[in-house]
Amino acid sequence: MDNTKKNRAPRQILFVDDDPDFLGVLKETFRMLSEEGWVIHCATSPKMALDLLKRQRMDLAVVDLNMPLLDGVQFLSLLGKRYSDLKKVTLTSFATEEKRSQCLAAGAELVIEKPHSPDGFKSVFAMLEDLISWEPQQGFQGMLRRVGLQDVIQMECLGRNSSVLEVQNGQVLGRIYIEDGSILHATDGKLTGEAALQRLLALTGGSFELVPFEKPPERTIEGQWEFLLMEAARMRDEGAAQTAAAESKAAAETPSVSTVPVDVVETLICSGNGEPLYHADCADVNARVELLKQIAGQAAHLAQMLPLGKFDRVEMQFPGARAIAQARPDRLVFVRTVNQPASS
Amino acid sequence: MNDSALPWLTDRASPPGTLACGLRRPDGNFVCHSVEETCPAATIEEILAHFDLLAAAVFTEQPVPDWSTWSFEKGQIRFVERPDGWRLALVVRSESDAALALDVLSLEFLSLPLEI
Repeated sequence: MDNTKKNRAPRQILFVDDDPDFLGVLKETFRMLSEEGWVIHCATSPKMALDLLKRQRMDLAVVDLNMPLLDGVQFLSLLGKRYSDLKKVTLTSFATEEKRSQCLAAGAELVIEKPHSPDGFKSVFAMLEDLISWEPQQGFQGMLRRVGLQDVIQMECLGRNSSVLEVQNGQVLGRIYIEDGSILHATDGKLTGEAALQRLLALTGGSFELVPFEKPPERTIEGQWEFLLMEAARMRDEGAAQTAAAESKAAAETPSVSTVPVDVVETLICSGNGEPLYHADCADVNARVELLKQIAGQAAHLAQMLPLGKFDRVEMQFPGARAIAQARPDRLVFVRTVNQPASS
Repeated sequence: MNDSALPWLTDRASPPGTLACGLRRPDGNFVCHSVEETCPAATIEEILAHFDLLAAAVFTEQPVPDWSTWSFEKGQIRFVERPDGWRLALVVRSESDAALALDVLSLEFLSLPLEI
């Protein structure tokens, strides 16, 4: 064992898998590979894992994806809410791209194939050892650094949860109030409402905590969360958010493009393969799904021609209206807005 | 190529962060200002020519937008089409001066005096 490992406290690692034989092999192998540097706890059910977590603080939880009653994705989400500092990894025999994305969105730092050979166990051990040794220095802590504040909000909204997201960045504490999946209110220093929300979403570092819901002092946000998150992404890409962070006073007093009042007139959210999950005021869901698939196909073609990386979304500007179509492996989203008539 | 198109393309439409920009006139003639060798003129020409297919595939049930911005993790492509048939494609790096200037340049292009 090297000196660094000798000098540190033993790591507490929790493995959750409904296969006791696999857990037995895993426990013995990793105990040897860690040279007694890991204390390995095994649970054959989520309930048993939660009981262990109540008694012992863990450095890492490694969760099987396919478990009866409560699957790995649901369990990861639950762990994220109860133990936000706990690092989480999914270990699975087979994961589709969609499942993999769901695991990452639910807070997993890594999604790893189950090992079947001595070399496989060594590789998995090296990955887990690297993960628990890693300390965040910049960016968000824990799942936020890997998954992003937007993903946490999206998870809360899609699950129709109620919570308050407290975001700490330096001396500034921001709060985002979510009730039954709707964003009601946000504060960030002296800013409130959409301006505060957009600024919090533009942060590039900090930490957050999900705390139990409490009624906000007022409701300052009416827009649909899908549009709000897309608007934030657009602002971040265009660098407007950086300007807002540097010139917060000006941002609070000067209307920008994002404050032009709009009405969301159509919303559609689909799974990655086009299965509609939610829609509002969408006259022809099938036509929209087809449009989203066409966009994804055309974007893939463009991505082959230019070195711009993975596609995220297309924004379309029409006279007095705008539409945003997002195509990611795990979801397809379409939002259409129209400008509100100017008040006389 | 129209006289005023090329100076506008090289002088105005290339702020820092621009990877390439190209103009296609209604008769199919093309001019490109490639800043990065990873975005060669031939590719921009192909993309602009491809815009017909793209628009036909994507905007079957609705009008073609004044402009569209295709955002990728490292950059954006802005397509603008004028009623007279002129087309503009701007390829920029994300979070750059060029990305911030997309709307301004698009509006300039829409009102630029260009021959048909």
